[in-house]
Amino acid sequence: MVMKRFLALVFLVFLFSVQSLSVFGIQRFPKPEFESGYIQPETLMPAPRAEMLALLDIAVLILSLSVVTWLVLKKRSRKGVFWMSLFSLAYFGFYREGCICSIGSIQNVTLALFDTSYVIPLTAIVFFIAPLVYTLFFGRTFCAGVCPFGALQDLVAFSPQKLGSRINAVLGVIPYIYLGLAVLYAATGTDFIICRYDPFVGIWRFNASFGMFVFGGLLLVTGIFIARPYCRFLCPYGVLLNWSSRFSRKHITITPAGCIQCRLCENSCPYDAIDIPATSKNPEDKRTMGRKLIFITVLIPLLIFAGGWTGSKLHEPLAGVNAKVRLAKQILNPPKDTGKPETFEIQAFKSSGKPQKQVFDEASLVLKKFYLGGWILGGFIGLVFGGLIAGRIITRHHADYVPNKGNCFSCVRCVDYCPVK
Amino acid sequence: MNKQNSPGKTISLLQSIAFAGAMLAFVLCILISVNYFQVKKSDPLNSPAMKTMIERFRNNPDDEQIKSEIREFDLLARKAFFTNQWQIRTGGTLLLFSVLIVIICLKTIELLSAKLPLMPDTATTNFWDSRTLNRKWVAYSGIFLVCVSLIFAFLTHNELGKTLELTGKTPGSAADSNLLSKSTGASTADSISASDSGSGVRQDSLPAASSLDAYPTQQEINSNSASFRGPGGNGIVYQRGFPSSWDGRSGKNIKWKTAVPLPGYNSPVVWNDKIFLSGASASKREVYCFDFNTGKILWHTVVDKIPGSSATAPKVNGETGFSAPTLTTDGRRVYAIFANGDLVALDYAGKQVWAKNLGLPKNHYGHSSSLAMFHDLLIVQFDQSGSANVLALSGTTGKEVWKTSRDVKISWSSPIIVNTGKQTEAMLVAEPFVISYNPSTGKELWRFNCISGEVGPSLAYADGVVFSVNDYSKLAAVQLGASPKLLWESDEYLSDIPSPVATSKYLFLPTSYGMMACYDAKTGTKYWEHDFATPTYASPVLADGNIFQMDKKGVMHIFKADKTYISVNDSPLGESSVCTPAFAGGRIIIRGDKNLYCIGK
Repeated sequence: MVMKRFLALVFLVFLFSVQSLSVFGIQRFPKPEFESGYIQPETLMPAPRAEMLALLDIAVLILSLSVVTWLVLKKRSRKGVFWMSLFSLAYFGFYREGCICSIGSIQNVTLALFDTSYVIPLTAIVFFIAPLVYTLFFGRTFCAGVCPFGALQDLVAFSPQKLGSRINAVLGVIPYIYLGLAVLYAATGTDFIICRYDPFVGIWRFNASFGMFVFGGLLLVTGIFIARPYCRFLCPYGVLLNWSSRFSRKHITITPAGCIQCRLCENSCPYDAIDIPATSKNPEDKRTMGRKLIFITVLIPLLIFAGGWTGSKLHEPLAGVNAKVRLAKQILNPPKDTGKPETFEIQAFKSSGKPQKQVFDEASLVLKKFYLGGWILGGFIGLVFGGLIAGRIITRHHADYVPNKGNCFSCVRCVDYCPVK
Repeated sequence: MNKQNSPGKTISLLQSIAFAGAMLAFVLCILISVNYFQVKKSDPLNSPAMKTMIERFRNNPDDEQIKSEIREFDLLARKAFFTNQWQIRTGGTLLLFSVLIVIICLKTIELLSAKLPLMPDTATTNFWDSRTLNRKWVAYSGIFLVCVSLIFAFLTHNELGKTLELTGKTPGSAADSNLLSKSTGASTADSISASDSGSGVRQDSLPAASSLDAYPTQQEINSNSASFRGPGGNGIVYQRGFPSSWDGRSGKNIKWKTAVPLPGYNSPVVWNDKIFLSGASASKREVYCFDFNTGKILWHTVVDKIPGSSATAPKVNGETGFSAPTLTTDGRRVYAIFANGDLVALDYAGKQVWAKNLGLPKNHYGHSSSLAMFHDLLIVQFDQSGSANVLALSGTTGKEVWKTSRDVKISWSSPIIVNTGKQTEAMLVAEPFVISYNPSTGKELWRFNCISGEVGPSLAYADGVVFSVNDYSKLAAVQLGASPKLLWESDEYLSDIPSPVATSKYLFLPTSYGMMACYDAKTGTKYWEHDFATPTYASPVLADGNIFQMDKKGVMHIFKADKTYISVNDSPLGESSVCTPAFAGGRIIIRGDKNLYCIGK
C-alpha cells in the first residue's frame, strides 16, 4: 500500500515537472520591457508545445485508445467508457484546449501532401492515423471514449430522440461535404476550416468569437434531444472512421452470444445506429434489383461528372476565402469604391512593397488550383451520393439486431439492454 | 418505508437543483449576450460626449479644467468598457459551473432512476421499407444539392481569373493606378512605368501569321496609341519620356513632317512602327499608313465599292467633315469608318480584309464617333437620329458579334474602354444617359441619367469616377459602385467638343472657347481656371505628369497635372490643328491642318 502511494507520488512529481518544461519552451526570447507599466496580454492561441509534452500527448492517446478498446470489447462496460470519456474531455479538451485533435489533423495531413514546404508534426500524423488504425480493427472506440467532442456531447444527451430514416439520410450527407471542403481548403493552403469553425474550442479555451460560442451552445442544447449532433451530422473525421469501421473484424456486438430477437435493444441506441433485422424477404425481385444496379452503375459516373462540373463553376466563390485571392480582389476593387474604409490587408500590402503583379500571379495560381479542386470536390460529392444510393440498393440483410458498423460509436449503451449474458 | 422514499426525495432534490442551475444558466446566457452587445456597440473613445469635450478643448487649448474633465471621462469610459469585459468573463465561468451542476444532477438522477429495458410498444419497422425510404431521401437531398449548386453556378460569373490574368500582364492597369495613386498621390499616368520610351525608333509591327486571330495584351495596347485619346480612349498615356518643347517653324524637335493627301479631323493612331490616318472628301475616302521613323507614306488604300454604300454623299458640317472618326487598330488590322457609314478593315499591308456599310448615318453634322477595340472586337458607337445602337464586330471577319439598341438621342462622342477594377466596361454617353456595357456581350451593366443636348465630348474615367460633360447641360461626376451615384456636378464650365481628362485627384476640363478648368475629382472643388485665349477642339492628353492641350492655332499648351496651374511650355506647331495628338515611343504624332508631324527629342 505504502509502495503504491509512493509510486503514485513519484508519478505525479514527474508529471508536474514535465509540465513545467513548456514554460521554457515558450519563453525562448525575453519579452520587451515596458516602462509604462503595460501588462502583456495573455497569448490567446495555445503555446508551442514542448517536444516531450508532444510525446506525452501521443502516449496518452495510444493509452486511452487501448484502454477504451479493452473496456468496449472485453469488459463491455458502459461505466468504464463513460469515465474514460470524462478523462479524455479533461485531458484533450480542457487541458490540451482541443489542440491537437484527430478531426483537425485531416488538414495537417492534407497540407503535408500538397505542400512540400510544410513540415507536419509527428503528433498530427499519429493523431490522424492511430484512431483510424484502431477503428479498422476494433470499430469506433475512439469516438466512444477518446474524442473530447464526443465526450462533451455524450454528457448532455439526456433525452435523445430517434430521428428516423429521412432525417438521418439527409443530414448524414453533410460530413462528406464538410470533409471535401476541409481537404480543398487545406490542400490549397487556404485555411484550416475545421479548426476555424470548431464549435467547442470556446468551451475548451474560454475564448472564442461570440458566434462560435453561440454555435457551440446551440449544438449542446440540440445535443440534449439529438445525441451527438456534431459527430453524426458534421464531423469530417467521422467519415473516415465510418469507412474504416466497416472493415473492423472485432467490432462490438449487442449480444455476447446469439440474438434472441427480444427487441429490448431496439430503441437503446441514441444514435440510430442499430440495424434492425430483415424479418421478411426482399420484396424486390432479382430483375428489379438488376435494373436498379444497372441504373446506379450508369448514374455514378454521371453524378461524378455533374458534381465536378458544378464544382468547377463554383471555384471562384470557393476561392474567395483565400487570403491571396481576397487581397487581389481588394486591389482590383478598392474598398474606397464601395464606401468602406481601407482594409488592413490593403494597408499591409502597401507597406510591404510587394509588386501587384506578384499578388495577381499568386491569386491566379490559387484560382487554378481551386478550379481543379472544384472538379475534384464536386466529383467526390457526386460519388458520395452515388455510393450512398448504391449502398442502399446492395444491402446484405441480417437476421439479428446488430450495430451498424459504420455509424456505431461503440458507446456500449446497447449492451446493457441485452438479457443474454 | 423511509428507505423506499429516500431515492425519490434525492431525485426530487436533484431535480430542484438542476432546475435552479438551468435557470441560472439561462439568465447568465441572456446577461452575457446583452453585455456582449453592449461592449460591441460601445466605442468609449469616440462617444459624442467625448467628442464634444475634445472640441471644447480645441477651442480652449489652455483650459486645464476641460483637460482634466477629458482625462476623467476617458478613464471612466475605459473602466466601464473593461468592467463589461470582466463581467462577460466572470459570467462565462459562472455559466460553465452552473451547467456542470445541471449535468451532475441530471446524470445522478439518470443513475438513480435507472429502469429495466422495455419492449417497444410499436411494431418493428420493416427493414426493406426503411432502406427504400433512406435511399429515396438520399436521392432527394442529392437532387436538392445539385439544384442549389447549379443555381449558384449559373449565377456566378467567374471573371476574376480572367481579370487577374489580364491585369497581371499590364503594368498600367486600372488597379495599378487606383492603388498607387492613392498611396503615392501621383497621377495615374505617373504611376505607370514606361515600357516603351527609349530611342524613339520603332521596330516592324507586322505580327506573325499565326497570331492574326489573337488580340494584343494590355501591355501592348498601353505601349501604343491604338485609338482616339490613346489606350482605351481615356486620354491617359502609359509611357514616359515625351518632348515638351518644339517649334514647327524652326524645326526644333520636329523629326519629320509629311503632307496628308485628303483632309480629315480624325487623330493619328500608332502601332509600333506604323501610323494610321484617314482622309476623305465628298466622293473619295482613303486610309493612310505612315512610317513612324521616317514619315514616309508606306501605302494608302482607297475605300470604295463597299456593298450597300450610298452613291449620295452625306450632308456634313464643315467642322466635322467626311472622316471625323479616328481609326483604331489591334496590331493585326486597322479599322476605319467614314461619314457615309463605310466601315473597312485593312491588314498592315493596306489590303482590305473585310468591309461593309452600316447604312447612311442620319446625322446633321456628320458621323464622328471614333472606333474602339476590345480584345478582337471592334466597338462601333452608332447613335443616329431616330436609331441609336452600339455594336461589336469580329475584327477578323467583320461579322456582327453583338448589337445593342440604345434608347438615347443622336451623339458625336466616342466610347471609352475602361477596366474599373472589377471588370472591363465600354462606357458611352449620349442624351440622357451615361451607359456602360459589357464589351464582350453588349449587355448593359449600368446607366446614369445626367446629360442632355447634342453630346460631343466623350467621357473621362479615373479611380471609380466617370465624368460626363456637354454644353448647355452640366458637368457630372458619377461614382461607380453597386449602383452609380452622383458625386458632384457643376455648370460653370462646359464643353461641346473637347473631352475632359481625369486622374484620381483632378479633373481637367477644356472648353471649345479656350478655357481650361481644374477640379478636385472627388469633391468638385474648382482649383483653377486658365484662359488660353484660343479656341480648342482637340482633347487634352495626360502624359509624363503633364497635360498636353492643343489649341486651334496649333499651339500645344503643356502644364502640370496639378492643383495649381503651372505652365511647362507652349510649343507651336506652325500650323492649325483640331486633332488630338498621339503619344507613343517617346514621340508625339500631331495631325495639323495639312501635314502630319512627328515630334521627338
